[in-house]
Amino acid sequence: MGAPEWRLIDDVETTDLAVDHMRTDVEMLERVAAGDHPALRLYTWPMPTLSLGRFQDAADVDEVACARLGVRITRRPTGGAALLHGADLTYSLAMRLEAGADNGVQPVYDRIAGALIVGLERLGVSAAIARHDRAPGAVCFASQQGADLRVGDRKVCGSAQVRRQGAVLQHGSILLRRLDIDECDLVTAACDRGTLRRATVTLEELGAPIDPRSVASAIVAGFSDWLGASFGPSTLVVQGSDAHR
Amino acid sequence: MELPEDLKYSKEHEWVAVDGARARVGITDYAQDALGDIVYVQLPTVGNTVEAMSTCAEVESTKSVSDIYAPISGTIVAVNDALSGAPELVNQEPYGSGWIFDIDLSDATQLDALLDAAAYRALVESG
Repeated sequence: MGAPEWRLIDDVETTDLAVDHMRTDVEMLERVAAGDHPALRLYTWPMPTLSLGRFQDAADVDEVACARLGVRITRRPTGGAALLHGADLTYSLAMRLEAGADNGVQPVYDRIAGALIVGLERLGVSAAIARHDRAPGAVCFASQQGADLRVGDRKVCGSAQVRRQGAVLQHGSILLRRLDIDECDLVTAACDRGTLRRATVTLEELGAPIDPRSVASAIVAGFSDWLGASFGPSTLVVQGSDAHR
Repeated sequence: MELPEDLKYSKEHEWVAVDGARARVGITDYAQDALGDIVYVQLPTVGNTVEAMSTCAEVESTKSVSDIYAPISGTIVAVNDALSGAPELVNQEPYGSGWIFDIDLSDATQLDALLDAAAYRALVESG
């Protein structure tokens, strides 16, 4: 049997302010759970958006500050803590958890991390799977877990999962550059900006390309190389709102 | 992997302890190990009726959210409120203080479709 053919959804140049990335990701998971091709989606955010984890306390968010700073709020179907999007590239993938593989939470993170690491290597970035360093708080990038990627000791990509009906959706944020604001401006919990900055690193700071198109191409290549994902000429490539059809 | 002989098991890695027309449900030692450190349990609502194989609870571990299915149909009559403050009990004592909910069975014949310990062990060892 050949490598599975993947569906590639390209939302890298999203400009539609009404886009609902979380809904699209959940629909992608549901399609895969129902038997569709595994899927990889890459997207950016047309305006700064703070995403909260599935069970994160809404009181963690300073809604007044978000409104004042023009930051939209959304809730992820996945776990974890608050993450500010807007200067990142987000990947999401959905695939079935096939029998015979070790489908534990960390082993699946590890498999997908391999693809991301190979992709980042193409950009000259030497990343590794992160180590659990402290209890997770209200801000995703303030701590590391085995779901994440680091360069040295600094987190460059934060990821999370949801599993339904024998399939997994994993999505994650690759830091391209910094915005003028960060999560410390947007949460009610104690958040030290200096600590957060020292705990993270962006591709820009690493001297890597930060054009979302270039980074997306490298990540797609990483999945092709590492997971054997087929994105050949017959790959079902859809763009933007076509992903919903 | 701990696997009590007196329990029944679902293919989705729940255990079921039957006591007359009522059953206690949790997740297996294998499942808690695969999930890793559980940091949150979304418990079902007491009084809700659930169908077998429907989602009735969720757990979060290492930023991963997983569904917990009802292994049998019935009415939720109790939940383990201790998990709200100590979700790690599911990891520490999956067959004891880490239980998740009690259910009054609406169709006891569904129990026949569950696995015994030997069949469940074979399931997880086959991958």
